[in-house]
Amino acid sequence: MSNKLSFRDVFVRGAVIFNPVLVQLAGLCPVVAASTSLKSAAMLSAVAFAELIAVCVIASAFLKKVPRWVRMPLYLIIGLVLICPVLWYIETKTLINLSLSMKIYIPLIAINSVVAVHCEQFAVKNSVKLAFYDAAAVGIGASAVFVAVGVLRELLGSATIGGMPVNIPVTFKGMLMPFGCLVILGFAAALLKSFVSKKYPEYIENGVLVAKKEEPSEPVITQESVEAEEQTDETSSEPINEDVQGGIKIGTQEEIDEFLKSLGIDTQETGDEQ
Amino acid sequence: MKIITDLFLTAFYTVFVQNLVLSSGLGMSEAFRVSAKPGTFGRIAVMISGFSVVTSALCAAVNIYAVEAELSYAVRAAVYGIVLAAVYAVVAITARLVFKASDKFLGTLGIAAFNTLVFAIPHINNSAAYSFAGSIGSGLGAGVAFILAAALINKGSQLIAENEEIPDAFKGTPAMFFYVALISLAFAGFTDTNLFG
Repeated sequence: MSNKLSFRDVFVRGAVIFNPVLVQLAGLCPVVAASTSLKSAAMLSAVAFAELIAVCVIASAFLKKVPRWVRMPLYLIIGLVLICPVLWYIETKTLINLSLSMKIYIPLIAINSVVAVHCEQFAVKNSVKLAFYDAAAVGIGASAVFVAVGVLRELLGSATIGGMPVNIPVTFKGMLMPFGCLVILGFAAALLKSFVSKKYPEYIENGVLVAKKEEPSEPVITQESVEAEEQTDETSSEPINEDVQGGIKIGTQEEIDEFLKSLGIDTQETGDEQ
Repeated sequence: MKIITDLFLTAFYTVFVQNLVLSSGLGMSEAFRVSAKPGTFGRIAVMISGFSVVTSALCAAVNIYAVEAELSYAVRAAVYGIVLAAVYAVVAITARLVFKASDKFLGTLGIAAFNTLVFAIPHINNSAAYSFAGSIGSGLGAGVAFILAAALINKGSQLIAENEEIPDAFKGTPAMFFYVALISLAFAGFTDTNLFG
């Protein structure tokens, strides 16, 4: 079996099957709190997309040897270094009038869980090229959800799209609240699950979404990555429930052996190395 | 007396009236993740409260200067981020060198420090013009709000897992979204918000 994943494979997994927002429940803060219109959603998705790619590529290129507990603040610092100058320029040098919520929520993208999860789960374990592919795929998946939710909330909550009035019989202000966003996300997640179960039934097991065992999410398994997974804390990269698995989890020695065996690697020999 | 009143009123407001996790979506992803492990609620909530309180206290001074100097939000965000990273660095290095903390503990510490909830607290204190005591109260309230949200999500996920009448397409994550939407709506009931209009 080939351990190399093409961009298409990474894209389908990262953007669709394991969508960061609808399946991995990452990056909920900006979409729930601030994606209330097409304009705000487009701004947040552009910032999140650019930041995700930049931080993942930097993490993959330079932070592989850095301990995990040191990497965490570095993601924030790198994110702020990228975002704050742009925000400062928009605030002080342009006529673009940002709302207060945008001024608060755009910097929060720097600390977004999508970035931390994908840097830790993928970027620091893979090549720069694959990290870029993964970040682009995840960024597209997250941005699509941000924009779709923003359009629906603006339409149903304010009867406008992109600021232009639309004639609908009733407006529902609740859509502009987190409640409305979560309802839309619920329907979107169900829609995505139905699509995946029809198009990619191999990812559905007993009604829940799971990673395919024969196709590793991490194409390159190194000693470092196995050790890093063993050291992973209780909350960061583990799935919330069976339905939220974004990759094959490596934990106990038996699980590692089973995982390596599925790749056609001699577990006895690998076990000695560990 | 006013200081204590400010502190507790702000904490109460942050937890029950404007629950930052359920009403503002701050730290919601982390609440979902932590909710699957009830044993970690307390530890992470204490860490979140600790980071929020210390960061809020330090940023309160920044906020006074920021208002006087009319600093842009971008500069304020950069300063808040540096303060948060510095607080984390001091705690993590102390834990590592003095208490020989494991990588696992430091990983959890990182999750508690670097999330949208903790990072948003100084912004909220600034925009709501909280006093110093109020800032500390909102920091304390953030941890309690988080543990309340995680506990509610945990209970909901158990009930959803036991419910066999949920259609296949809505099992798991979609049902959780609807459940959290309803809790969020319940908290919105404490604020003066119109659903229709």
